[in-house]
Amino acid sequence: MEEIRIGVYICWCGTNIAKMVDVEDVARELSEMPDVVIAKDYKYMCSDPGQDLIIKDIKKHNLNRIVVSACSPRIHELTFRRTLENAGLNPYMFQMANIREQVSWVHDDRIKATKKAKALVAAAINRIKWHESLDKRTVSINPSTLVIGGGIAGITAALELADTGSQVFLVEKERKLGGNMAKIDLTFPYLNSAQQIINEKIDRIEHHPNIRIFRNTVIDEIFGYIGNFNSTIGQNGTEAELKFGNIIVATGLKSFDPSGIKNYGYGKLPDVITSLEFEQMLLNGKILTKEGKEPANVAIIHCVGSRNSDEHEYCSRTCCMSALKYANQLRSAIPEVNIYQAYADMRAFGKGCEELYCSTSRKDVMFLMFDQQKDLPVIMEAKADDSCKMVIEMNEKLSGERIEIPADLVILMVGLEAQDDAKELARSVGISMCGNSFFMEKHPKLDPVATTTSGVYVVGNCQAPKEIPDAISQAKAATARIMATIKQGEVEVEVITAEVNEDICCGCKTCIQVCPYTAITFDENNSVSVVNEAICKGCGTCGSACPTGAIRSRHFTDNQILSQIKGLMSKSLELNEL
Amino acid sequence: MANKEKNKIKLAIYWGAACGGCCVSVLDVHEKLFDIVAAADLVFWPIALDFKYKDVEDMPDKDIDVTLFNGAVRNSENEHMAHLLRKKSKLLVAYGSCAHMGGIPGLANFSNRQEIFERVYETTESTVNPEKITPQTKSKVAEGELSLPEFYNDVRTLNQVVEVDYYIPGCPPQSERLLEVFAAIVSGAELPPKGSVIGALDKSQCDECPREKTENKLLKKFKRPFEIEDDGKTCLLEQGVICLGPATRGGCGVRCIEGNAPCRGCYGPPTSIPDPGAKMMSAIATIIDENEPDAIKKVIETIEDPAGTIYRFSVPQSIIRRKIMPQEKKKEEAVLQS
Ligand SMILES: Cc1cc2nc3c(=O)[nH]c(=O)nc-3n(C[C@H](O)[C@H](O)[C@H](O)COP(=O)(O)OP(=O)(O)OC[C@H]3O[C@@H](n4cnc5c(N)ncnc54)[C@H](O)[C@@H]3O)c2cc1C
Ligand code: SF4
Ligand code: SF4
Ligand code: SF4
Ligand code: SF4
Ligand code: SF4
Repeated sequence: MEEIRIGVYICWCGTNIAKMVDVEDVARELSEMPDVVIAKDYKYMCSDPGQDLIIKDIKKHNLNRIVVSACSPRIHELTFRRTLENAGLNPYMFQMANIREQVSWVHDDRIKATKKAKALVAAAINRIKWHESLDKRTVSINPSTLVIGGGIAGITAALELADTGSQVFLVEKERKLGGNMAKIDLTFPYLNSAQQIINEKIDRIEHHPNIRIFRNTVIDEIFGYIGNFNSTIGQNGTEAELKFGNIIVATGLKSFDPSGIKNYGYGKLPDVITSLEFEQMLLNGKILTKEGKEPANVAIIHCVGSRNSDEHEYCSRTCCMSALKYANQLRSAIPEVNIYQAYADMRAFGKGCEELYCSTSRKDVMFLMFDQQKDLPVIMEAKADDSCKMVIEMNEKLSGERIEIPADLVILMVGLEAQDDAKELARSVGISMCGNSFFMEKHPKLDPVATTTSGVYVVGNCQAPKEIPDAISQAKAATARIMATIKQGEVEVEVITAEVNEDICCGCKTCIQVCPYTAITFDENNSVSVVNEAICKGCGTCGSACPTGAIRSRHFTDNQILSQIKGLMSKSLELNEL
Repeated sequence: MANKEKNKIKLAIYWGAACGGCCVSVLDVHEKLFDIVAAADLVFWPIALDFKYKDVEDMPDKDIDVTLFNGAVRNSENEHMAHLLRKKSKLLVAYGSCAHMGGIPGLANFSNRQEIFERVYETTESTVNPEKITPQTKSKVAEGELSLPEFYNDVRTLNQVVEVDYYIPGCPPQSERLLEVFAAIVSGAELPPKGSVIGALDKSQCDECPREKTENKLLKKFKRPFEIEDDGKTCLLEQGVICLGPATRGGCGVRCIEGNAPCRGCYGPPTSIPDPGAKMMSAIATIIDENEPDAIKKVIETIEDPAGTIYRFSVPQSIIRRKIMPQEKKKEEAVLQS
């Protein structure tokens, strides 16, 4: 076996790490560990000079393993793996110890923090002795794409891809395309017609030679992996076998049903309607009460089903601005109408939104604030001698007074929530959900449209509530990613996968049952389990479940983990003594 | 003829903390013992031959060709003999589960010396010991001073005390395996790399086990062997009985399972498994058919003596090695400081 020669680099991260960890002391002490050839500290390891330092040392000292002790591997593991590659080393001969997020940022005692940093670096040094070179693997990409959901996000993605000459299959659950955007009249903040935009797109998509649309259709099961998915789609009694390389999930969100909120009497009081129902009125061109009269008083209640522990904790993000949009549309349709906005907080971030808020408040609109957590307004039928149909009682927060608002029409700004079949869809495409609400992206900041399943993207509202421009941006971002893989013709897949040692596997099938990505099948001829490495995500579940130790989780082998623990314990025993 | 006589190898068999079963397993080769004796001089074997420790001490270093050391290291006598036999032997073989992994005596690592003495010399139902007399390493009697070996706080495997060349696992090892190994040594065949487990397979028990295994490994309750109505065909694990077969090397001829009892793991883990108990625990965890923490806890509670089950033969060799004894640690520290 070749001699192990480890280089260890302790990053200051400017003052981020250095202020709480004595980096020089860490480097000095760890340089004494067996097999460590050099240990250095440096201001910014990820900078070009920092990386050059590693490359020069690799060449000069013949290093074959590198430990960088810095920030989270989520941020810079790839950076340093590339550094190793540039120096001619296999990128997996690298290990990162996180002494920023896990040490300097969360501790306030410099001596203890320095000790903990030493323990983490010692663990990394111990582990890296067991590292093995891993080779890159690629799979070919089928240039067709499946888009699930025909709202504005799905339509945009389909058109973008189809315009480059690639085949697109668009699957829509409803008969009608367009999603929520097809159900609204104008769009905030500039009050353009939603219909004009969406109809033009629907028309284009329906006539596009590269797009095949499946209406009234839902996806049942999808097999395969990035580049090579397939699914059987049933439509009008016939079945189509589709093959595609990537999947875009754009199934949006549905409006919250407010019948469960007693205070608002939705379903009982005829003139309490949802925002979506109001959009329909606007589309019909007539704002009328159930009795067919023009309302003299209209109240708009915010945050219905949102920002409350009884319904959804999150903000649905589009309703505040829609509510202002309605105030404007009401003012121009019925100039003398009294408009009351009962809101909890006004969320007017984003381009043109604060401006919309200011201009609306100059249009004789009453803004009244209530407590959305504890004290919702109550809508009641008015007394016979009142001049209005309904009365809304609420504790107005800014004045501190209990008030009554007259209303002939009440618009509930209902929030957005997951589609009823979201869970099943998540399972069939192999992605996760954040609680019960939205599909989970790969990384909330660094990778908001990809998912942990390669080749599957989430765009538009199904990832989280958002306005139309954001939904469109995400759709375009995902298509750009997909087009890049189509152009390459192949894509690198995870090398950190599981492998079955067929000489040891006893065929107990425990692994098959636990794999969350159904990556393992049974080879009846040899009575052993086989991992499909193109599907395997290297999650490690099967490796820990396999009772014979036949499964090795590459880069997370038992020896790697045990030696890491031993390294950690060797220094952390000292920690206890403090 | 004289030459052949000269080629006879020198063989020693010794027991440390053991039950005697391993020595009996050597006798279990029956008439084949004559073949052994024809090829080997037995120079030391306390169970069968009258040699004294002094005889061993007088031997030149490396004089013994092969020593089969069975039993764990429980006291100072065991340790002394381990060092002595290491010095006097060309090949030191850990023979049987106790020397290999600590074996049944190793289960005592879930207690310490004090607890064991209290139980054995004070609280057992049949003990009357009002003066609380416990074994002392030195005691004065009229005739002079008597000494006893020191009883250690924990049990160690042979390789935790001296360097070991090979391991023959089993409680006790299958006699056929011993004969095979012996034949290989005598014939001068090339031996496997030092540190290897010999006389056993690389694959697990399940591989040899005739019982049917399916994907259907979801359990809501673990059972003890007497609690199931064994159909004689289905994998015991799937019937709810914890069988260590998957985490245990084959080689014994699935003798327990052939007797409708679950494998207890005496052959030790295959090379692919660093710690059989940890491995078995995570495998068990994945077959529990519950998702809520409380429900999972209830299922786990149906496992009788979990640590003693998954580490039946391997506590001293495992990652945990022994129970943590905090008071003891403090005491030791106090001694160190004074
Ligand atoms: C009342 C209201 C007013 C709004 N006003 C504005 C505004 O003025 N300005 C603005 O920027 N934004 C506004 N929004 C937000 C806007 O509607 C969304 O940003 C936009 O619709 C998101 O588009 P999408 O394609 O992601 O999702 P959706 O529009 O929700 O489309 C999802 C599509 O997927 C389909 N689908 C769902 N599940 C499946 C499945 N399992 N299989 C196949 N297909 C499926 C659905 O039928 C639907 O057609 C408003 C929203 C509402 C509710
Ligand atoms: S956008 Fe406004 S109305 Fe909608 S949930 Fe958020 S705060 Fe409430
Ligand atoms: S590591 Fe194992 S369980 Fe995880 S995805 Fe790969 S094969 Fe499946
Ligand atoms: S769990 Fe391990 S031993 Fe069992 S079938 Fe899978 S790979 Fe083979
Ligand atoms: S777990 Fe036990 S009973 Fe089941 S196959 Fe393995 S050895 Fe046989
Ligand atoms: S089946 Fe298991 S416990 Fe029984 S003898 Fe074989 S290895 Fe030992």
